[in-house]
Amino acid sequence: MAINEKAILKSELRWGAVVGVIVAIILGAILFAALSMHINPPSNREYIDPKTLHLSSEFTEGNLGTRVDPNGRVVSRVITTQFEFVPNCITVPANRDVTLRFASPDVIHGILVTGTNVNTMVIPGYVAQVHTRFTKTGDLLMPCHEYCGLGHSQMVATVKVVPPEQFRTDPQGRAVCGNRR
Amino acid sequence: MTEAAYPATAHDYATDSEELERLEAAMDDSPKGALAVSGVAVALLMICWFLIYAFVFLPRGTVG
Amino acid sequence: MATVADPIPASPPAPRRAVVSGELNVRGLVAAHLWVAVAAFLVACALGVWQMWARSPIEAPAHTASNYFRSVTLHGVSMAFVLTTFFIMGFGYYVAETALKRRMPGLTYAWLAFWMGITGTLMAALSVISGNASVLYTFYPPLTATPWFYIGLVLVVVGSWIWCVLMIAAMRGWKADNPGRPVPLAMFATVANAVMWLWTTVGVAAELLFQVIPAAFGWNGMIDVGLSRTLFSWTLHAIVYFWLFPAYIAFYTMAPRAAGGRLYSDTMGRIAFVLFLLYSLPVGLHHLFMDPEHSNGFKFIQMFLTALVSVPTLLTVFTITASMEIAGRMRGGTGLLGWIGALPWGRPMVLATGLAFLMLFFGGGGGLINMSYGMNAMIHNTSWVTAHFHLIFGGTVVIMYFAIAYAMWPSITGRHFPSLKPLNLQLWLWFVGMMVMTLPWHYTGLQGQWRRVAAFDYSDPLIASWGPWVIVSLIGGIILMVSAVMFVANLALLHRRGIPGAPATIDYAEAVHPPTRVPSSLNGFGLWNILVALLMAGAYGYPIAQFFIDPPPQAVIHQLS
Repeated sequence: MAINEKAILKSELRWGAVVGVIVAIILGAILFAALSMHINPPSNREYIDPKTLHLSSEFTEGNLGTRVDPNGRVVSRVITTQFEFVPNCITVPANRDVTLRFASPDVIHGILVTGTNVNTMVIPGYVAQVHTRFTKTGDLLMPCHEYCGLGHSQMVATVKVVPPEQFRTDPQGRAVCGNRR
Repeated sequence: MTEAAYPATAHDYATDSEELERLEAAMDDSPKGALAVSGVAVALLMICWFLIYAFVFLPRGTVG
Repeated sequence: MATVADPIPASPPAPRRAVVSGELNVRGLVAAHLWVAVAAFLVACALGVWQMWARSPIEAPAHTASNYFRSVTLHGVSMAFVLTTFFIMGFGYYVAETALKRRMPGLTYAWLAFWMGITGTLMAALSVISGNASVLYTFYPPLTATPWFYIGLVLVVVGSWIWCVLMIAAMRGWKADNPGRPVPLAMFATVANAVMWLWTTVGVAAELLFQVIPAAFGWNGMIDVGLSRTLFSWTLHAIVYFWLFPAYIAFYTMAPRAAGGRLYSDTMGRIAFVLFLLYSLPVGLHHLFMDPEHSNGFKFIQMFLTALVSVPTLLTVFTITASMEIAGRMRGGTGLLGWIGALPWGRPMVLATGLAFLMLFFGGGGGLINMSYGMNAMIHNTSWVTAHFHLIFGGTVVIMYFAIAYAMWPSITGRHFPSLKPLNLQLWLWFVGMMVMTLPWHYTGLQGQWRRVAAFDYSDPLIASWGPWVIVSLIGGIILMVSAVMFVANLALLHRRGIPGAPATIDYAEAVHPPTRVPSSLNGFGLWNILVALLMAGAYGYPIAQFFIDPPPQAVIHQLS
């Protein structure tokens, strides 16, 4: 078949075309997931000063955890700090849009929620935000997955995903982990 | 004489012309085998990628 | 078949090289670099085993968080910075002399670079052992170590820059002596790697010199973490290609020779190395997919460029398989696949290449998942990532490092190996250990097992379900440790025992059609440097500039010491 250099290069080009097609198919699938299935990386460039988190209107102690905003959105706000989540348990309804918002007053942390695509870094200086919809009920682990110091291994929170009818809020719209029992 | 770990200057064929003859004969069938092996490997790679995409990734839900 | 229009030349294009009875001038230099690399490697392997023991349900000795993160930092720094840099430098000096058949210029500077590297390594290692530098090999500001840790690593990098200059000078000198001739592929690739490394280190150098070291000395109380992560990401992906180049140099210029055949296409080799030079660099943002400080737009652009950097690997898979096919058919293999069995698998370089390609399937496949934009969310900072880079680097690349060392060692020691069996056994053990260690990590990673954990709470049911797999990985790690010790023993023994009379060089693979002329773009890097600059400006220009145009709030420095 191939004996001269031209023929060899032609065979390589043919193989290159095969490679190109494969790469194009993968890129297409990625675009589909991003645009049609709405699965995108968390890229919310929103600033917040790590030194004054507790003074901000959003991440004050009383506003942390899950809350249904006046416009009906379910938002969970969590502070990641060395070496705990505040609060370390949040409860969210299944099959409803949920927004998770994280901030760090100290070093880099990161979170994932087991069994889901929820994954984000929490970078001091930014509010990390993930919109999602939990489909399966149960208790999920939310560990800190980015090395944040010697206590990193102990930093784990719980996300309780409850059926929508069991998701109860208090008069201020807050839902806490003890509520549904 | 044991085989060298990397044949530094020894050669597998006694003479240059023998090596060239074998090379010419080998090039007759090349690169069919390579296409087969590479093609199957890359096809398997694609399949595995798609299986994970469709059965693990997409079911885990929307995020953004 | 040959035709009248394109006849096979009557005589071989390049004469058979007689045994070089001369000296290998860089012998001591290469041996020194390799032994430092190997020593760091051995220590790091032992630390790795202890780390896996600590993370398993089985009680480990001296198991504290402080010890664990010291170990992880030392393991990472040794494997990622010391083993690699010293190996690559040593191999580069070897190629510069043996591929160019020419004394390497600047031997004094090479030794200076070596001692800088040793000094820096010791500074960094002692800092870590003291407990004042548990920042892992990726640094993670605002966590800040003692400045001597970073300065130590800067010394290693500056030493490697001297190596880069020497590689470029060696190639330039050869080209001046051999006008119009193609630079031997092994050296072309080595210099491509050197050029790429110079570009690569800009990111981490900027991060360390302008942000982290001043903070470590206490001159800044705050640091822009988004900027430091972005600068580090510039280095973080390209550095793995810096590590990968020697393995691919072996694939193209050593494996076909070891198999008794020819390289399918010298031109494709040059193109592959050029593509790596171009596309290894503007892709670092794929390490920051889950970060809030970059927009989806730039993440997507760099994901696209990452897809392009998979191309030279996919091209290499074909070219090297075709080269092996030639060797197998020359040895009498027939039919579509008969050439596979006909290959001389008893030769370590051939065996290592086969095993490397098997691991490339899994490691490269995992990498394709990592780079796939939204899919990164499934696996970011889980054991899947740990699995990926141990398999692709620890597996595919390092197994070729072993084979390269075995290929060089006869000319370093003057002796042939008395038997190849211990070498092949060591390679098999490395392959088996790596697969056993990393495959479970893929599974537990998808289950959500996260990284850099000193101890898991096995009372949690989900975590408890990972326990058996953690133990399987640990067994893989122990197999790797055995292989590592065997590797050291194989090299060390050749200094004392072996069949005397090994030549002071090796032969590199010839192409089916050895080139007599190549275009200057495939014989030098002027054009490619311009393209790299343009690509980096496009891919990283705004992502870095944004931190100056619209500065975010900074993070407070957290000193560890």
